[in-house]
Amino acid sequence: MGKKRVGALEKVDADLSYTEDFLNQYGQYQSQRDIFLASPTTATSSGIISFRDLIDFVAHVADCFPEDTADFAEDLKTILTLHHAQLESELREKIVGSLVLLRRKDIIDSSNLLNSLFPILVATPSKTLRTLLFQKILSDLRTSNSKTINHRLNRTIQTALFNLLTSDRASPKGIWAVKITRELWKRQLWTDTKAVEIMKEASLADNEKVIGGGVRFFLGGDKEREELDDESSDDEGGIDVGKLKHQAGINKKSNKKKKHVEEAVKKVKKNEKKKNQPHPLNFSALHLLHDPQGFAETLFSKHLQNGKSKLNLEQKLLVLSLVSRLVGLHKLTVISLYSYFIKYLTPRQPSVTSFLACLAQATHNLVPPDALEPLVQKIANEFVSEASASEVASAGLNAIREICVRQPLAMNDTLLQDLVMYRKSKDKGVMMAAKGLLSLYREVGADLLKKRDRGKTATMGIKSGSIKERRFGEEEVGGIEGLELLEQWKADERKRKRVERGLPEEAGSDEDEEEDEAEEQAGWNNWDAESDASNDSGGWINVESDAEIEISDSEDEKPATKKAKLDTAAKSETDGEKEKADEVLEQKISKLATTKILTPADLAKLQELRLEASLNKAMGGNKKSQSQYLKELADRHADDPLTADQIEGFAKLRKSTKEEMIALAREGKGDRNEHKSTQAIRKSKKEAEGKSTTNKEKSRKKNFLMTLGKAKYKQKRSLTQTKRVLKGHIERSKRGGKRGNIGM
Amino acid sequence: MGSSARKKKDKRKDFQKPKLKVGKTKPKADNFTDTSFKARSIVVNQQSLTTVAPSSSSQFAHYLSLASSSKSDSQRRDALSYLTTQLSSQPVNAPIPLPTAILLPKLLPLILDGSSSVRSQLLKFLRLLPAADVGDRAEQALLYTRAGMTHLAAEIRVDALAILEWLLEVAKEDIVICPGGWVKTLKSFMTMMGWATTSGTSKWTSASKASFGKAGKAFPRQLLVLAQFLKAGLVESGAEASLRLSVSSFPLVDVEKHMIPTRSNAFAHLNLFGSSRDEEGEMYIDREDRQRVFQKRFQAAVQVGMENARKEAGEAGRAAAVLNKVLVEGMADYSGGVDDTL
Repeated sequence: MGKKRVGALEKVDADLSYTEDFLNQYGQYQSQRDIFLASPTTATSSGIISFRDLIDFVAHVADCFPEDTADFAEDLKTILTLHHAQLESELREKIVGSLVLLRRKDIIDSSNLLNSLFPILVATPSKTLRTLLFQKILSDLRTSNSKTINHRLNRTIQTALFNLLTSDRASPKGIWAVKITRELWKRQLWTDTKAVEIMKEASLADNEKVIGGGVRFFLGGDKEREELDDESSDDEGGIDVGKLKHQAGINKKSNKKKKHVEEAVKKVKKNEKKKNQPHPLNFSALHLLHDPQGFAETLFSKHLQNGKSKLNLEQKLLVLSLVSRLVGLHKLTVISLYSYFIKYLTPRQPSVTSFLACLAQATHNLVPPDALEPLVQKIANEFVSEASASEVASAGLNAIREICVRQPLAMNDTLLQDLVMYRKSKDKGVMMAAKGLLSLYREVGADLLKKRDRGKTATMGIKSGSIKERRFGEEEVGGIEGLELLEQWKADERKRKRVERGLPEEAGSDEDEEEDEAEEQAGWNNWDAESDASNDSGGWINVESDAEIEISDSEDEKPATKKAKLDTAAKSETDGEKEKADEVLEQKISKLATTKILTPADLAKLQELRLEASLNKAMGGNKKSQSQYLKELADRHADDPLTADQIEGFAKLRKSTKEEMIALAREGKGDRNEHKSTQAIRKSKKEAEGKSTTNKEKSRKKNFLMTLGKAKYKQKRSLTQTKRVLKGHIERSKRGGKRGNIGM
Repeated sequence: MGSSARKKKDKRKDFQKPKLKVGKTKPKADNFTDTSFKARSIVVNQQSLTTVAPSSSSQFAHYLSLASSSKSDSQRRDALSYLTTQLSSQPVNAPIPLPTAILLPKLLPLILDGSSSVRSQLLKFLRLLPAADVGDRAEQALLYTRAGMTHLAAEIRVDALAILEWLLEVAKEDIVICPGGWVKTLKSFMTMMGWATTSGTSKWTSASKASFGKAGKAFPRQLLVLAQFLKAGLVESGAEASLRLSVSSFPLVDVEKHMIPTRSNAFAHLNLFGSSRDEEGEMYIDREDRQRVFQKRFQAAVQVGMENARKEAGEAGRAAAVLNKVLVEGMADYSGGVDDTL
C-alpha cells in the first residue's frame, strides 16, 4: 500500500461504499495486532504488508469510520507504553506519528495524547525516540495553545512536570520538565507562576543537569524570549502587497498566483491585527517567583554552603549568580552570602571577575555596611596595588565601584582616598576605573573625599547643606518624573490663553481655579485621543539647536570653587532665599500630583515633555552627566545582570587577540578591498551618497578646452578690465557667492 | 673554468652531510634496500573442522532456522521439504528431533509467507506433526491462521483455509474453545466472505461491493470450511454424546466433571493471570455459550449469505446446502433467549 493509495483514501469523506474494504483492512490490522501482542519481540513485519503500513492506513482513515475504530487509539497507546523498548524503531515512529495524527483529527484529545507520550519520553532509553517524542509533545502543546491559551491542558501538564521533578529529586529525568518548560516559556505559551514554580523546583533538585537547566532558565530565559519575539516581529513585515498585486496584474493569470496574492493579503491583515493587539504583559521569571527570600536561602544553603554538593565551579558560579541576582533584585537579606565570597576574592581564583560581578550584584542599599566593608577591604588589598597587573587592578577598582554604587556606605574615607589616587595611573583601564570611583563619590558621599577632589558642585552642595550624608536604610522621596515640566507647561499655556483673550498675564486665584476645572473637563472628554497636544504641536518635538556645550572637568572647576569660597559670606543670604524658593517649588509639585487626578491628556503630554527634555539633554552636552550615568546604572541593575565583562572593563581590550583588535579598529570604516588612499575612499563614498563637490574639485575637473578661451582672453585684458574683475571677486566673496547667502 | 668548478662541486658532494630537518623523515641512504613485502590471506567460506558429520538433530535445528528466517523463497521451501522428509522418514514411534513447542512458533509465521510453494510445503510439514501436541498451541496457531484468512492476497487466504481445515482435523475441540477461537475466527470468516456488517448503525443497505469478498472459485470452499468450523463448535460431538449416555454408574451423577481434568490448563477460562479479555477474546467452553454468541452476533448474517449462495446453485449452492444442514443441526436444541451472562 503506497502513499498514493493512502492519500487517495484519505480524501474520501466517509464514503460508505468503501466500508467493506476498510473492514477487511481493519480485520487484517487486528489479526496482525494480536500476533504482535502475543509475542512482541519475535513478531516480524516481513510479510507482504507490514504491520506498520496497516497502522498508517487505519490512522489516516480512522475519522471516516469512528465506530469501527473506536479502540484503535487505545490499542496504539497500549502497544507503545508496554513495548516501546523492544519495538523496532520504524514501527515505533509510525505509532507515535499515528497517535499525533489521530490527535490532529480530533479523535483523541490533547491531554490524552500527552499523558501517554510523556511517561515514555521520560522512560525510554532510545535517543531517537526521545527526540521524536519531545518534538511531538512540544508541537502538540503549541497547536493546542495556538488559538486561545488552553488553560486546562497547561495546568495538567504543568502538574505532571512538577510531580516529575518533586517525586524523585535525584533522577536526571527532570531535565525533560526543564526542557519543555523552557521551550514553552520562550514561545510565550506559558507565562504564569506555575511554570516558574516548576523551574524553581528544578533548581532545587539534586541532579547537576537539572539544577543547571533550572538556574540557566532564570538567568537567561527571559532574554531568550525577548529575542525570539524580536525575531518573529522582524520577519513579519517583509511582504509588499502592492507589488504582488501589480505583478499579478501583469503576469500570466493563474489560480496559483491568485491564491498567492490572497494569502499575502491575509497574512498582512493578520500582522496588522497582531500589531494593534495590546502588548501582552510579560513578567520576567524572577518577578513571578513566589517567596524569593526562601528560594534564595535554600539555593544558597543547598548548593553553595553545603560541603556535600557535587557541583563544579562553573555550575556553582551559575547558582551563585542566580542567588546574587535574586538578592539584588528583590533586596533580600542573606547575610551569610557575603562572608561566603571572602575566600574567592583573590586574583588567582579562576573566573574571579564573575565572582566580583556576583558580589556587586548581590549588593543593594539594605545590605548592612558591616557585612560589605571587609569584602571591599579585601578586594582593595588583593587586587589594587602598584605591584599587581593593570588588568587586575582595574578589575578590582571596577568591582569596588559597582559595589559602592549600590551601597555607598560600604566605603571608609582612608580607603577611598587611597583608591582615588590611582586616577593618576598610566594604565588607561586603571585610570578610568579610579575616575569612575571618584565621580561616583562626588555624587553620593563627597565628604569622604579629600577637599580638593570633591569638585565644584559637591563642595558647594556641602557648604549649602543641600548634600547630606545618606544614612543606612534611608529612602529617597519618590515623585513622578517630569511632573515639574508639566506644571511649567500648564502655567505657560494658561498665560498664553489669557494673553490671547486680552487679560493680564497673572490671574486671581478663583479665576485660576475655574480655568483649571474647564481644562480638566476637556482633558477627561477626549479620553480616547492619543494626545490632545498633538493638535497644537502636531507631534513635533522642539529641539534646541544652539545649546551650549559645557565642558566641565575637575581641574577647570578649581578656580571657581575658590572664588565661591571667597564670597560665600556674601552669597549665603541669597542662597538661603533660593533654597526657600526651591522648597516652595517642591511643595507645589507635590500638590499637583496629590490634589488633582491626571487626565489621559495630561499623561500623554507628560510623556511628550519627558521625551523632549531627554532629547535636549542629549543634544546639550556631549558629556554624560554623572547623575544620568548613575541613573543608567540603577536602571541596568533593576533587571539586567551585571556581567564579568563590565568588571573587566578596559582590560578586555588588552586581552583580545590581534584579529579582534583589527576588527575593532576597522569597524565603521567601510570595506577596504581595493587599495586606495583614505581620501579616495572618502570621495567615492561622498559620491555614492549623492553629495556635491567643492568648487576646487569642480575647477580641477573642468574640461581643458573650456578653460582655453578664458586663459587666452586673460592675457589680453587691459589694466582696468583686470581691476574690475578683481573688485568683482572681492565683492562676491564678501557677499558669499554670486547669489549671496542672505536668503538662505 | 666552468668545468673545473663543476667538477669540484661534484667531488664535494660525496662528502656533504645530508641536512636533517625537524618534522621530516630522515632521507634514505643510497644503499637502502626495501625489504617490505605484502601478504594476502585466503578466506575459506565454509569450513568444517570436525571430522564427523553434524548430527541429524543439529542439522534439523539448522534447517529449522533456515526455514523460519531465510530471506530467499527457494531456500525456505527447500529447508521445509528437508524437514518434511526427515520427519516422514522416521520410524513410527520415535520422538521427533525437536519438540512441537519449539517447531510451531518458528514455523507458524510462514502461513503468511509470500511464496505459495513455501505455504504448501508448510502444510505438508504440519500434517506430520503429532496431533496431540497441536491442541495446546491452538491459540497461537489460530492467530496466524486468522491473519492469513483476512490477508489481502487471495492465495494466502485460500491456503489459510487449508491450515484451518488441518487444525479442525487435529484439534477440533481446542480450536473452538481457546480464547478468541470462536468469535474472532467467525469474525474473520465474515470478513473473508464479505458478510461482515459495520458495528455502526447505517441507514444504507450495504450491497456487498467489496473488492475481495467473493473470490469466485474459492467461495464454495470457504462455505465448506465454515460449515466444518460451525460443526465443530455447534454440533455435539460423538464423544460428548456418549459421555452423556454413559450413566452406568447410576448413583453417581456427573462423575466426570468432578474428576481431575484431562485437558491441560483446565482453569484457563478463569483467566487468573492474563489481562482481562473482552467479549471477542473470551473462551467459550460450553456449547451453549457458543450457540448463544453465534445466535446473537452472526446467525442473521450467515443466514442471509447462505440464502444468497443457495440461489447461486452450482457448487456454491451445494456447499451452502451443507452449511445449512450443519446450521440446522447445531442450532436445533438451542433454547435461546436465556442471556444470563450479560
